[in-house]
Amino acid sequence: MKLLTHNLLSSHVRGVGPRGFPLRLQATEVRVNPVEFNPDFVARMIPKVEWAALLEAADTLNLAEVPREPTEGYEHDEDFLRKMHHVLLEVEVLEGTLQCPESGRLFPISRGIPNMLLNDEETET
Amino acid sequence: MSLITKTGDRACVSGFARWTTGTPAASAYCARSTPQPGHGTTPSTQLPLYFRFRGWDSLRDLRNIAKMSDIQEATNKLLDVNLHENQKSVPVTKENGTKNESEHLHITIGATVPTGFEQTAAGEIKEKLGSSCKISKDRGKIYFDISVESLAQVHCLRSVDNLFVVVEEFKDFQFKQTKEEALKDFEDLAGKLPWSDPLKVWEINTCFKKKKTKRKKMSQNSNKEKIDNGQGDKLDGRDIRGFTDSALDSHILDYYENPAIKEEISTLVGDDLASSKDETDEHLKEETAPQVLKFRVTCNRAGEKHCFTSNEAARDFGGAVQDHFKWKADMTNFDVEVLLNIHDNEVVVGIALTEESLHRRNITNFGPTTLRSTLAYGMLRLCAPQPTDIIVDPMCGTGAIPIEGATEWSNCYHIAGDNSPLAVKRAANNISSLLTKSQVKESKSSWGLPIDAVQWDSCNLPLRTGSVDIIVTDMPFGKRMGSKKRNWNLYPACLREMSRVCRPGTGRAVLLTQDKKCFAKALSGMGHVWRKVHTVWVNIGGLHAAVYLLKRTPQAFVHSSDQEGERGTPW
Repeated sequence: MKLLTHNLLSSHVRGVGPRGFPLRLQATEVRVNPVEFNPDFVARMIPKVEWAALLEAADTLNLAEVPREPTEGYEHDEDFLRKMHHVLLEVEVLEGTLQCPESGRLFPISRGIPNMLLNDEETET
Repeated sequence: MSLITKTGDRACVSGFARWTTGTPAASAYCARSTPQPGHGTTPSTQLPLYFRFRGWDSLRDLRNIAKMSDIQEATNKLLDVNLHENQKSVPVTKENGTKNESEHLHITIGATVPTGFEQTAAGEIKEKLGSSCKISKDRGKIYFDISVESLAQVHCLRSVDNLFVVVEEFKDFQFKQTKEEALKDFEDLAGKLPWSDPLKVWEINTCFKKKKTKRKKMSQNSNKEKIDNGQGDKLDGRDIRGFTDSALDSHILDYYENPAIKEEISTLVGDDLASSKDETDEHLKEETAPQVLKFRVTCNRAGEKHCFTSNEAARDFGGAVQDHFKWKADMTNFDVEVLLNIHDNEVVVGIALTEESLHRRNITNFGPTTLRSTLAYGMLRLCAPQPTDIIVDPMCGTGAIPIEGATEWSNCYHIAGDNSPLAVKRAANNISSLLTKSQVKESKSSWGLPIDAVQWDSCNLPLRTGSVDIIVTDMPFGKRMGSKKRNWNLYPACLREMSRVCRPGTGRAVLLTQDKKCFAKALSGMGHVWRKVHTVWVNIGGLHAAVYLLKRTPQAFVHSSDQEGERGTPW
């Protein structure tokens, strides 16, 4: 699971609503893959990213050199874009958990795939 | 709306013959490195390769190179050598006089595409080859012109299932009234057709395919070696154990069909053609010593007014072809497949350029209802992905759609999700296989692709409201997967959840289903969030299905339930 995906995921336990975001990340196995750097992609993705959630996740993974916020004129700052590229796309959580911040419900991540299925009582039928 | 049901049939027949090869293997060309939209006629891209190839030993070495990672280095080496060679040999003439003509050989290619997606295929061809397409009334077929150098690029097209070179097209064939006379016309036709150029193309194409297969075997072996070495070990400093074990166990597809390595194909093809002149000559000698080419005729006939069957047409036409060329008949092990396509008064004679269909290229792990990659491509193209769009398939199955998306639209972000653990596992395996293939690209080992897999419930997506730009999916038809009864609950719930996560105003969805009735009912209550823009009628394994293009209205999602009321507001 990449951090960009984590940025989109939200808990859907019944009654939780927007308080289900962001999911608290805990990782036991992480892998770093190089991914082809596309500055345009990163620059355009940045406005779509929820920063607080991203920083929180990056911190729990103890990632170094994570920009705290978009700098002025970030679109042309290659250094900044490369760091963001690394954080969003190159770090993969292989094993770990995601926790709903409101209900505490844990979702496991196994072989890089988060399992977000709820059982019947937890979902709205 | 009903689909055109064709009254038609299909038959294959072959004949006997000997074929004398007049054209030496030297009439072979390559398409150059970067597939460029527009023509392949810019000087830098039209350097025909000559066969006085000095780098013989280095090429032999290359053939022995097992490691795929060295191939890029090899390609560069070859390119250098070739350019050098070309500078020397361009002013000097070629080995046979026909080369000049062959250089500028323009041909018409016919392609079969998923019915309903003729326009999207035409769009791809225009974009990548610069050629305009003619869409036949014979559904699922399109035609376009190219110069023969672009042949390799044609094989890289992602929306076509099969390719053939047109020998001749008759827009309005006047069939005689009686069967005997009509069939006699076919017999007479065989000898009058302009076969030589199309056969040249067939020859070039066959060489190209042979090299592809050789290299595929080579790369499969090399991959297996790598696998044995890699399991449990660290590769490039990364531990890939947990994630890629099962992927490595699965069969690895022909890596040339990954567009990430398109460049390599084009350059390698030419180089291979050049270098293998000796080999090809020997090979051809073997073949031409007994002088027998094997062929068959495949006839597809559609229309109400024909007084003959496809079997009869194929038989008589095939007989005449056999007499003309002295080829040998073989239904299964043929070299040349002659196509006779009859649709009402339109008759097209062609020679097939593909054997197995291109449509299963990306998928190594099949599921019970895996979608054709060409169809997946067509669906994605329909929603016109923009750079950095977030594209989600909430019922991905084996991941055909997101994987096609990640390879072709790598400037978007793709998420494949399914509720079945088996499906998600297969999707993840397919993604890994892609990664394995893309290792070859460039000198940097590009391990990652902008795609992720999640296990989730499509009626209860764990995604932020309004965060997704495009939803593309193949909904359960209720035949092989799920049931019609289940669909009555599934479809409305899904559509509702999709409308929640889809970005208001700009978001869109492309949904494939055969259960059109259920879909229409589910959609009818959702006019405030979904607007149906376009419908494409398709044929999936004999079932009449539809692909719906929906646009998300600007209206924000409001959930009716009290409990989830908060979740509805965009945030």
